[in-house]
Amino acid sequence: MDKSIFVSVVVSGLLIGVAFWFVSISPNTGKDAEVVPTATITDGKQIIDISAKGGYSPRKVVAKAGIPTILRVSTKGTFDCSASLVIPKLSYQKFLQPSGTEDIIITPEQAQGTLQGLCSMGMYNFQVVFQ
Amino acid sequence: MSDKNQKTLVFHVSGMHCSACILMTESELMEIPYVTHAKSNLKTHSVEVTGEFGDKSPEEIAEELSRTLRTHGYELSVEKMQKNAGWGDFTYALPIAGVIILAFILLQKAGLTNLITSSEVSYGTAFIIGLIASVSTCLAIVGGLVLSLSASSAKEGGTWRTQTLFHIGRLGGFFILGGLVGLLGNSMHLGLTANVVLGSIVALVMLILGVNLLDVFHFTKKFQFTLPSAFSRHVVKGSKHDHYLAPVLVGVGTFFLPCGFTQSMQLYALSTGSFMQGALTMTVFALGTFPVLALLSFGSLNIAHKPWKGIFFKTAGIIVIALALLNLANALATAGIISPLFNF
Repeated sequence: MDKSIFVSVVVSGLLIGVAFWFVSISPNTGKDAEVVPTATITDGKQIIDISAKGGYSPRKVVAKAGIPTILRVSTKGTFDCSASLVIPKLSYQKFLQPSGTEDIIITPEQAQGTLQGLCSMGMYNFQVVFQ
Repeated sequence: MSDKNQKTLVFHVSGMHCSACILMTESELMEIPYVTHAKSNLKTHSVEVTGEFGDKSPEEIAEELSRTLRTHGYELSVEKMQKNAGWGDFTYALPIAGVIILAFILLQKAGLTNLITSSEVSYGTAFIIGLIASVSTCLAIVGGLVLSLSASSAKEGGTWRTQTLFHIGRLGGFFILGGLVGLLGNSMHLGLTANVVLGSIVALVMLILGVNLLDVFHFTKKFQFTLPSAFSRHVVKGSKHDHYLAPVLVGVGTFFLPCGFTQSMQLYALSTGSFMQGALTMTVFALGTFPVLALLSFGSLNIAHKPWKGIFFKTAGIIVIALALLNLANALATAGIISPLFNF
């Protein structure tokens, strides 16, 4: 095989590998040691805080299943896609104000399994895992 | 000029892809004094040239005629050149595309959005938001579309006019539609389903254009027809007989492309409640995105006439395909069909 082709293939392979490594770090794998934040429960209501700006934080939240839950999404000077929130399972779509908080009500019936939220273009996402 | 000195020769033309190319090659060849007749054939990629060539060999004639056509990207040869897909170009195109894609991802990871610290929108912030948007993930959809359209257009012999009209359409569209959003108080947001459908369509168009840019597979020539022919004729191929309207309309259409930044600007324009403020905010935002988009479109037009254009088109093709797949995966994830594959 031609030497330059070989170099090209190796370099491209490495680049693609690194690129995938950067974007595919899913919240489930990798940093297992990192503590997954849990939702707070006050007065029988569960509140999950997510901040939205250039992505969602925290990326993964563990919550208790089957209790009334409020997903509180706060924006602060958010002009990027993360303001355009979509939660497919709840058929929820809303364009959040650049700054403020938005409460999304999750009924006990909906608070099951894994809830995936993402921005309308799909490049930012977060998970709420009900246990 | 007696007829017996006239000779008719058939040459193979490389670089002839479109119907505009037929007119182009024919008219260019006819301008050569000793050529009396030229007839191009798109199907066989050949041209029949009649003229007084003296006792030059066909190879010499091909070389002479090529000199005229080379500036337009065509090359005449006696033998039908074996289908040169330019596989060698990939040696460079693949790593270059890799570096660009990686740089794009790193740029997203760098947290550009944190540069926006104010939560109030002024014309200044609208411009900066535009600048950031043009190198953000919006680039994957708007920039990807601009790159695929302009590189394809340049490849098919489009002119600077097509590109200019696109940008005029974009800026003008943002002004008028931004004003209407402010005036009517309707954000013109597309619903979730429409967003997903539009995202998927854009991704598919980009995919087809990207594969065509690679210019490797014979079957992609057939793929080309899967784009509506009017779309490909008016938008992609900026022929001499091009419509003014089509590139302008595509430019206006970018107002509706799913891009988070554009949408939040639209939301702000909505809150102003006035035509002028809405119009100006959206125009200033579009001006912010202009430098990068202009670089993409006029850059590809410029490069299309450089000797290393083969590498450029293949690089652009790979990047466009990668962005198209990214957009498609994102659109499907938004619809809840697949779980998200990427997170920036």
